[in-house]
Order: sequence, then C-alpha cells, then structure tokens
Amino acid sequence: MSLINENKDFGVIAELIPNNASVIDVGCNDGSLLEYLREYKNIDGRGMEIDQKKVQLCLAKGISVIEGDADTDLYDYPDKLFDYSILTYTLQATKSPKIVMQQLVRISKKAIISFPNFGHWKIGTSLLLNRKMPVSKKLSYSWHETPNLHFCTINDFIDLCEELEIKIEKKGDLSNKKLSNFSGKNFLDSYFNEVGLFLVSKD
Amino acid sequence: MSENKIVTLAEDEPLNLDGGGSLSKFKTAYTTYGKLNDKKNNSILVCHALTGDQYVASDHPITKKNGWWSMVVGPDKPIDTNKFFVICPNVIGGCMGSTGPKEINPENGKEFATDFPVITIADMVRAQKLLIDYLGIEKIFCVTGGSMGGMLVLEWLSKFPEMVHSAVPIATATNHSAQNIALNELARQSIMADPNWQSGNYYHSNKKPMKGLSVARMAAHISYLSKEALQSKFGRNLQDKNSLDYSFDADFQIESYLRHQGFTFVDRFDANSYLYITRAMDYFDVSSANNGSLIEAFKKTQSKILCVSFTSDWLYPTSENKKIVKVFNSLGLNVSFIEIETENGHDSFLLDEPKFFEAIKGFINSTFENL
Repeated sequence: MSLINENKDFGVIAELIPNNASVIDVGCNDGSLLEYLREYKNIDGRGMEIDQKKVQLCLAKGISVIEGDADTDLYDYPDKLFDYSILTYTLQATKSPKIVMQQLVRISKKAIISFPNFGHWKIGTSLLLNRKMPVSKKLSYSWHETPNLHFCTINDFIDLCEELEIKIEKKGDLSNKKLSNFSGKNFLDSYFNEVGLFLVSKD
Repeated sequence: MSENKIVTLAEDEPLNLDGGGSLSKFKTAYTTYGKLNDKKNNSILVCHALTGDQYVASDHPITKKNGWWSMVVGPDKPIDTNKFFVICPNVIGGCMGSTGPKEINPENGKEFATDFPVITIADMVRAQKLLIDYLGIEKIFCVTGGSMGGMLVLEWLSKFPEMVHSAVPIATATNHSAQNIALNELARQSIMADPNWQSGNYYHSNKKPMKGLSVARMAAHISYLSKEALQSKFGRNLQDKNSLDYSFDADFQIESYLRHQGFTFVDRFDANSYLYITRAMDYFDVSSANNGSLIEAFKKTQSKILCVSFTSDWLYPTSENKKIVKVFNSLGLNVSFIEIETENGHDSFLLDEPKFFEAIKGFINSTFENL
C-alpha cells in the first residue's frame, strides 16, 4: 500500500521519512501527523505547539509535546538532535521565517517545510482581477484576521534557501501526491502548486 | 480513604546523609490508595511540598480538612485510584510521624530537637527509596509532586533513574534562587527570634514558638500567591469594620487572612521541622553531585516527563521550569511542557485548576496505556 494515497498530505511527508527516525513536528497541531508517523513509520516523535488546547490533545494521545513558540524555543535543542524536523503550514505565521529555517536545519539532519504558495495563479488572478486579498480553502483567513505574517512564493523560498546556503533535496507536489528530486526553479511548480513542500538540509 | 501506616526502615544498614552522619531505624509514615497490580507496574509516588504531609487524599487528622491533593488523587480523579496504586510518604525531617526533630532519638530516648541532623532533598529521596523497596516495587510508574515535591521528583530522576518510568515535576526548580533562600531565611529567623523557641528545646515546655512559626507561615503564604490574586481577593477591603481604627489591629482583610493562616498553621506543624525542611530546600541543587552539570545529573534518565508551570507563580516561575525542560530536551528525552494560565500564583498546583488537571490526566493515562 502506498502511503501517498492516505489522508491529507501526511502520506507525502511519510514517504520522505525512513522507519524509526527521530522527528520533531514544529507547530504540531493536535499531534495527528506525529501519530500517523508513529503508526506507519514507527518514529520517535516530539511536538512543539503554541496553542494550549492542542497541547492538551497531544498529551492525551501520549505524544511528547512542548508548549512553545517556533520563533523562540527552537534554540533549546542541541545541533542535529533529530533526524527530521517538520514545519507544515507554519512558516508564513512565524515572526522570522529566516531564523526559524536556520534553526530547523540546525536541530535536525533534514527538514521538511511546507507553506502556501503565494505565486499560485489563482492568487495572482484574485489580486489582478478583483484587487482583493485572496481567500481560499488553503488561505482561509480574511486579511484583517490572518495569523499569517510572511507570505512567500515557491520562488521566494528557493531564493531564501540559496541565501542561507540550505540545500533543497526534494520537492513535493501535494495535489498530485508526488515527490521528485529538486533541480532548480520551475515555471509549472511556481504557478500551479498551491502548496510548496520541500525537503532541505544543511551540514 | 487510607489509614496512616508507619514503617521502620534502615534496620540493618544506616541511611548515610549528605551532611555526614546517618539515620538508622528511622520511621516513615505514609498512606496508600488503590491496589498494586500483579505486574507491580501501576504505582504512583506523590511527593509533598514543604508543609504538606502524607494525607494527600484523606482527611487530615488535626485540621479535619480534605487531603491536600484530594482534587487530584482519588477514584475517577486525574490520578485515578481505581487504576493506580498511590503512595505518599511524609518526608524525613517532617512532623507527621516520619522521623524528624520532634520524634524520639532512639539513642538517648529524648526528642531529637536540633540534634536532628541537617538533611537534604537527596536524603529524603534515599529514604523514600527504602520505602519503595520495602513495598516490593522495582519500578515506579510515575513520580510526581509540586514545589518541594517537584525537587524530590527531579532528585529521583537523577539518583534512581532506572526506577522511574515517568515523572511529573510541577512548579519547581533545579535549585533554590537567592530570592528563595532569602524568603526561607526570613522564616527561620522569625522562628528562632521567638523566645519560646528555646534553642529548639520546647517539646516539654508549655511555651512553644507559636508566634515565630506563625509569622514564618504568613511570610511564606504571601509568596504562594500572586499580586493579582491578593488584589482581586482582598484589595484594600476592611475586616468587619467600616472605617480605619487608627491602631495596629487587623484593619484590612488581608491582615486578618494572613493572621488566620499563621494561627491555624501552628496547630499542625512543628517549628523545628520548618527549620530543617526549609534548609533542605535551600541546599537543593540537583546538579551538585555532578560538579554543577545538569546534563550530567540527568544523563542516565530515560523517563517520560511532563513539566508544568503556572503563569503567575513568582516563587518557582515558568523560567525556572523551562530550564528543566531545556536540560531534558538537550538530552533528547521524552519531555512535555505546559504552562497553565492562572492568577493563583505558586499555590495553583493545590487549587482547582481544570486545565492543570486535564494535562496530568492526559499524560498519566496515555503513558500508562503505552506501557
């Protein structure tokens, strides 16, 4: 059975993680991704979550979780403590995406980062035609209530990785549940992927 | 409900103490709740705080009040005694039946008073370990406690890591800060300044250092509450009067409240025990046996841990509890951390805090299910 056909984006992420890996999910929500990875990949998982209600849900599931903030609390971990760090749909809500990314590749051998792609054609069209901030299934907040502080496009992300000397190893296409090796910027990805998903690392 | 039990430990070999000297054939008073299962893997050791005792979930014999953690420990409570075997010993140095300054020194048939050796948190833990051995338990499912109880938990994780499956240290610290020591010194000086203290030899006198102990308790009580809680509870409200008396009587409600706290405390607590236990807390530094390295202190720990702090606790603030979390994180341990938002200050761990209860329950039950 291919994990890629499983619920949500978990399958794609699980494909990137080998069995028995140690994993920290930063912004782990109710712990369901960690639970999924524990079930299918037998990972040794940790979570970090800023919302206390979700922390409680993790505790009740037996997931080790720190009530904490990606912007300030990743410093507490030593270098390369984890095999993998995961940051799904959280990068755009951090105060300093740059520092968070540097911390992720510091505390883990490899980092999996996903974020809404602001370069997607629908977003461009919404701005161009309606002159309104885009609201969609993936970007469900109105401009005045969004927790998102730093939107970026797939191309912006690739540029930032280059600036930080972070190596992009793989990219994911979530709508087609597909992973492939990264070989530079790609017109189709930046226009048609609603979500950017990358496996990155820094020695 | 549990009967108080008393067992004599260290009968063959004395318990050597950090400060030199030893205790042999010492007594430990304790209560238990629930049943130890056949696998002997469902025990929870509850460690009490400075003025706590073994009456964790049963009525106190002197005050007749509910046990100090009766909201947490009991049937269908966050620590469910239908499921778990809960053990709560009175620490050595205490005054509710365990060997301490007010108990008889078997060597001379008199109360120890200040001849009792100065003990440490680690000594208390070594004494508790003898009780756990006596109960036939090789691995405790969970060790928990708040404040000084949390220090005992940390010391268990450091001294006997192989005996602790999981742990919940609450509102505590890896050592006492200068401010913590200062507050305890204030309390001790208050006791010793009371002429009725009589250098600790008051057990056969009709004058006991009640004033000194009462003031010590009043000072400590302030440190257990937050400024916000004091303000919202008492403000500048007057006690049973409409105007100021222009005297030194208790005009304000807060004065009357503190006097009551101090006054009722002396009925159930021994002044010398207060000196010894606060001293143990001041000496506490879990890294001290490891050249000051917290990493070294916990390097053998494999337990699953939940650390809890409270936002308005200024005695053992979140920052101190986060230091503990950071050490456990550095070691890659299975550690969780939650900060409960409340205005109840340090005392929160003894009060009705539903989010705190939910966290404990979630952690303990899920850990037991994954055993």
